[in-house]
Amino acid sequence: MNEPITESPPTAPQGRPADGCVIETVGLCKSFGGQKALDDVNVRVPRGTIGLLGPNGAGKTTFIKCLLSLELPSSGVARLLGRDIRAGSRASREKVGYSPEQDCHIPGMAGCEYVTYCGQLSGMPFRSARQRAHEILDLVGMGQERYRRVETYSTGMKQRVKLAQALVHDPELVFLDEPTNGLDPAGREHVLRLIGSLWRDFGISVVMSSHLLRDIERVCDRVIIIGKGRVLEHDRVEALKNRHRRMIEISPAAETDRYSAVLEAQGLEVTRLPNGRLRVESGSDSIEWVLKLMQANGLPPAEIVSNPDALNELFIKAISDANGG
Amino acid sequence: MEAELTLSRWNGKPGGIGYRRWVILSAGLRDLLGTRFFRVILILAWVAGIVTAAVGFLFTQTVSDGGWLESAAAHLGPRIHAIATALDAFVLLYPDVCIRGLFTLLFWLHSFVGVGLSMIALTVMVPRLVTRDRAGRALTVYLSRPLTATDYLLGKLGTIAGVLALLWTGPLLFGWLLSVLFAPDRSFFLYSLVPLLRALSFNAIGLVALATIALGVSAVSRSSRTTVILWLGLWVVAGGIAKPPGTPDWIRRASFSQDLSQVREAVFKVDEALKEAGTELPFLDRSVAMDFVQVGKKAEATDLPGALAGLGAFVALASIVFFRGLRSE
Repeated sequence: MNEPITESPPTAPQGRPADGCVIETVGLCKSFGGQKALDDVNVRVPRGTIGLLGPNGAGKTTFIKCLLSLELPSSGVARLLGRDIRAGSRASREKVGYSPEQDCHIPGMAGCEYVTYCGQLSGMPFRSARQRAHEILDLVGMGQERYRRVETYSTGMKQRVKLAQALVHDPELVFLDEPTNGLDPAGREHVLRLIGSLWRDFGISVVMSSHLLRDIERVCDRVIIIGKGRVLEHDRVEALKNRHRRMIEISPAAETDRYSAVLEAQGLEVTRLPNGRLRVESGSDSIEWVLKLMQANGLPPAEIVSNPDALNELFIKAISDANGG
Repeated sequence: MEAELTLSRWNGKPGGIGYRRWVILSAGLRDLLGTRFFRVILILAWVAGIVTAAVGFLFTQTVSDGGWLESAAAHLGPRIHAIATALDAFVLLYPDVCIRGLFTLLFWLHSFVGVGLSMIALTVMVPRLVTRDRAGRALTVYLSRPLTATDYLLGKLGTIAGVLALLWTGPLLFGWLLSVLFAPDRSFFLYSLVPLLRALSFNAIGLVALATIALGVSAVSRSSRTTVILWLGLWVVAGGIAKPPGTPDWIRRASFSQDLSQVREAVFKVDEALKEAGTELPFLDRSVAMDFVQVGKKAEATDLPGALAGLGAFVALASIVFFRGLRSE
């Protein structure tokens, strides 16, 4: 869990350094009174898209706030983009963006004015900030609403403008705390696609905190699971999935019973799920053997999903282990 | 809603901390200048500056050798002309008393307008300083960027300083400059410097005290109504309670407006200027001279250490409230 992880990110970003850690913590602790919100957190997180998973009150937001110096760590060392957060308080946040979970805006400002202002607060000259603000607002899917005051926005629009202010100064690392909260399905799809592209297309590393496992699984290449203020798991998504017992779900277009019979004839234990799917344990990550079986037995087409809910099960197991049971 | 992934990169060198503080300052000023009420106050402040300039200009042009007064008096007969010439001679003989005295009185009067308009402007500003940022949880936006609480404080203080400069310092300097710019004698410039420096000193003390108190009040709550009521309570209500003669010292010191009044009298020393005029100018008879001394006594600072201690306590308390309220939420 706390082992150094330095392998290269899965995709090569353009115009940005691909090596080095974006986050590095050693013995990071944070207590509120007698309660430990973070307990000896040791991580080295390489560049890429990182998911921060954990139940409510696990310490995800405290972890982010400590890294951004919004909360003062009780002890330990933390580096953001190689800069010590205590020694270089301002410098460590120069190339970092943050979209908090709750609403944050400056009442009285229009959306584009607000994002421009945020760019200027990060040191951008007015003209560059204004240009970037409009580009980013286009990117997050804000139309003419950008000329309205932020306090009149719907929850979804506020979410988009928060994302825009976090990205306006072209950061190297961006923290997104529950970025899809309050978005309608189309908006959620749009924002997830955008988040997925930040590292791939712009070289912006993302730390995305969410309780929605599917969102994390979809856009992140690495996951940190936090529970009770401790890092329970930290690895690449694929590696975590593979650590879990390999399952395959088959959703036949027809002849479900025959599918089941063929699989059972192979000595496999088949579970019928309430949604009509068949679940079997697989010996490997590959689904090649299922395809061959279908061909050999003349089975109709089917949707095959490898390791569904693996992350979910791993997450529940990690939390359960942390709780002592 | 397909994500259009075309985005220019920004690789420029970010502005330094001074620039970021300036951004906070200028945004606050721009926001305030956008309100009609503040623009009206601004116009009033500059009208006061123009009046100051006009009075000073008239004084310098009138009471001088060969000035308007002497020229006009020449048309009114030899007796009037002689009196006017005598008046001019007084200015020449007692420039320290006449010029310094008049400018002291002028700037002293202007300080009432400056402080009054600044207080009114701050009533509009208080909810816009920290209250609004707290209500919108905007502190997270500031403090997650390369800014610290001190940078935020300095930016907001800068906004208040800018407002007070526009309403008070600017018109004061404008009034003085126009008064002495066309003066026929260098002594007008020289002898008006001391009153000007005193006025600027009071301006600086007022700025520090008012700015800190306003920021503290603004950080008390997320509700604009609460902060405005608190500001008005501290200014108008506490000031009203502390004003009547015979009020115990501790109550007087608990009003920052009364404390500022005491500091004003101590800094401008209007009492000394009047006493000096009463005792040194030979054309005044004994009763007029006594009147000057009596009026001067009324303008005397009676409790400067107490007033300074009161202001100091307000500033300290406001600073504590400000930094306690300044947490990301």
